[in-house]
Amino acid sequence: MRRIIYNPKYNLYNLGDSHPFSPQRAEMLIDLLKEWNIYIEPIKPNPVSVNDLTAIHNKQYIEAVEKASSGIAVENIDKFGLGNADNPIFLGMAEGARYQVGGTVLGAKLLMGKKANKILQLGGGFHHAHNSFAAGFCIYNDLALAINEMVNYGWHVAYLDIDVHHGDGVQEMFYSNENVMTISIHESGEFLFPGKGWIHELGQGSGRALKLNIPLEPFTEGSSYLEFLDKVVKPALSWFRPNALVVQAGADAHFSDPLADNLLTTYDYEKIFKKIIEITDANCNGKVLFTLGGGYSSTATPRIWALLYLIINNLEIPQYLPESWRNRWQKILQKPIPKALHDLLPAYEQIPQQKEILKTNNDVMRRLIDSVAQHWL
Amino acid sequence: MLIREVMHLNPISTSPETSIRDTYNLMNKKNVRHLPIIKNGILVGIISDRDVRLATSKFAKISLDPQTQVAEIMSHPVETTRLSEPIEVATQTMRQYKIGCLPVLDDSKLVGIVTVADLLDAMLLMTGVHYPSGRLDVRLKDRSGELAKLTKIIAERNVNIHSILSYPETDGRLRVVLRVATMEIRPLAKAICNADFEILWPKQISCEE
Repeated sequence: MRRIIYNPKYNLYNLGDSHPFSPQRAEMLIDLLKEWNIYIEPIKPNPVSVNDLTAIHNKQYIEAVEKASSGIAVENIDKFGLGNADNPIFLGMAEGARYQVGGTVLGAKLLMGKKANKILQLGGGFHHAHNSFAAGFCIYNDLALAINEMVNYGWHVAYLDIDVHHGDGVQEMFYSNENVMTISIHESGEFLFPGKGWIHELGQGSGRALKLNIPLEPFTEGSSYLEFLDKVVKPALSWFRPNALVVQAGADAHFSDPLADNLLTTYDYEKIFKKIIEITDANCNGKVLFTLGGGYSSTATPRIWALLYLIINNLEIPQYLPESWRNRWQKILQKPIPKALHDLLPAYEQIPQQKEILKTNNDVMRRLIDSVAQHWL
Repeated sequence: MLIREVMHLNPISTSPETSIRDTYNLMNKKNVRHLPIIKNGILVGIISDRDVRLATSKFAKISLDPQTQVAEIMSHPVETTRLSEPIEVATQTMRQYKIGCLPVLDDSKLVGIVTVADLLDAMLLMTGVHYPSGRLDVRLKDRSGELAKLTKIIAERNVNIHSILSYPETDGRLRVVLRVATMEIRPLAKAICNADFEILWPKQISCEE
């Protein structure tokens, strides 16, 4: 029972030609899957309504976004985090965002209705959208609304964020919620946007010890991610026993990503995706909803998400990319695309401080487990 | 930042005639470590939980009776501060005398109290992350116009600066840490690097590209 969710209307969420958060990334992915002849017809979501959004967003904020999106000038728009380099104002942004939120919410509904248990939403992942302001390319928080739907249905929900940036918006919205566990692994806020996601951010009140953060050293390699899945995610989910897992599968921890510093390869991503599926099979009846997210290397991101698609659908992983697909997109991107699906190893020059980085990351994971263990009895 | 912005208003105080026992109990009950001592509306001394513990310890040369008046062991005269004193001056006073708190006087009346914890909170406010933002760490030549040149580059890219923190380095240059509201820190750093600034974070920026 695997399902794909996508609507071409997602492309309305286009922040401009020079903006890194480009709809082209999903287009390249879908084109690649079609070329391989493995693209399943996706379920097309409807946009959520403005009223639906009030469950997680402030009314004035929604109003401001909707107005700005239809070209009406809004006073003090900057206080809503809009009209700057990261979140420029553009026509149709609200509609595009509501379609993408609709996709993630549809994913939640398919899980609740037992229509599917492994779902890939080819959009969404807007984890930096806050209750009353936009940030980090995100306007409406699709993940929070989908999680909220499941909580209202009576479910316990776990959220796993492997995007290289901390999932601050989602964590904040459920910070004192006892039905939601959020887990984010990211490059440390000491170095990277949004600057939060420390191990002492453990949640509040009855949500205590349900918000987990692993801030990683810059230039962290894949082994720390696998360690994290084993030492943090596995025990956390086996204790919390969620009804479903929502995964923000940002691909920007890849070594070639222009916005961040971590050093994952496609081989690491393959292992990470397989491990996540294995953990959900063991702890939440295999119910998992993946969304996309960050990922700003135009040649790596579609390959990483193609791996996710292949793994979710239990398909064999091809060695090479289709020649015609490469030719087409090389012309559009004006960039060479590697012949193989996986990265060519060694993918990057070895970093001399690697031992130190590994040690620091292990220390951080141990400290986090030490501080939540007393709550998990 | 001024003392009035970080201090606690209406501090709990006691009188010189109060016994050490009652002083101790008052500290415990109110969960404080320092008590200003007031007589006829005038600050006459101050007592810390450490003073109480040392005076009554079994290990002390003369362990005082808990009934002793607190006036016997209080510190005086008292180092104080005022509402409009900059926190860095108050911090220097506390470091110099190795003390953990300063009563705040206004027109000779006790109006507030400021402790080391309040100064740590102030530091958090100045160094902390209060909005989603990325970090830029730049080394500046310590001369006029450098910071203006730097912030102009950021403004031209329509990026908001949430905070700027600076401190001097030993070689006379100025270290500046900016929290800027952007995920695209690297192109920004590149532009700054090209304008002949030394970038310490993000790493691995080569200007030329």
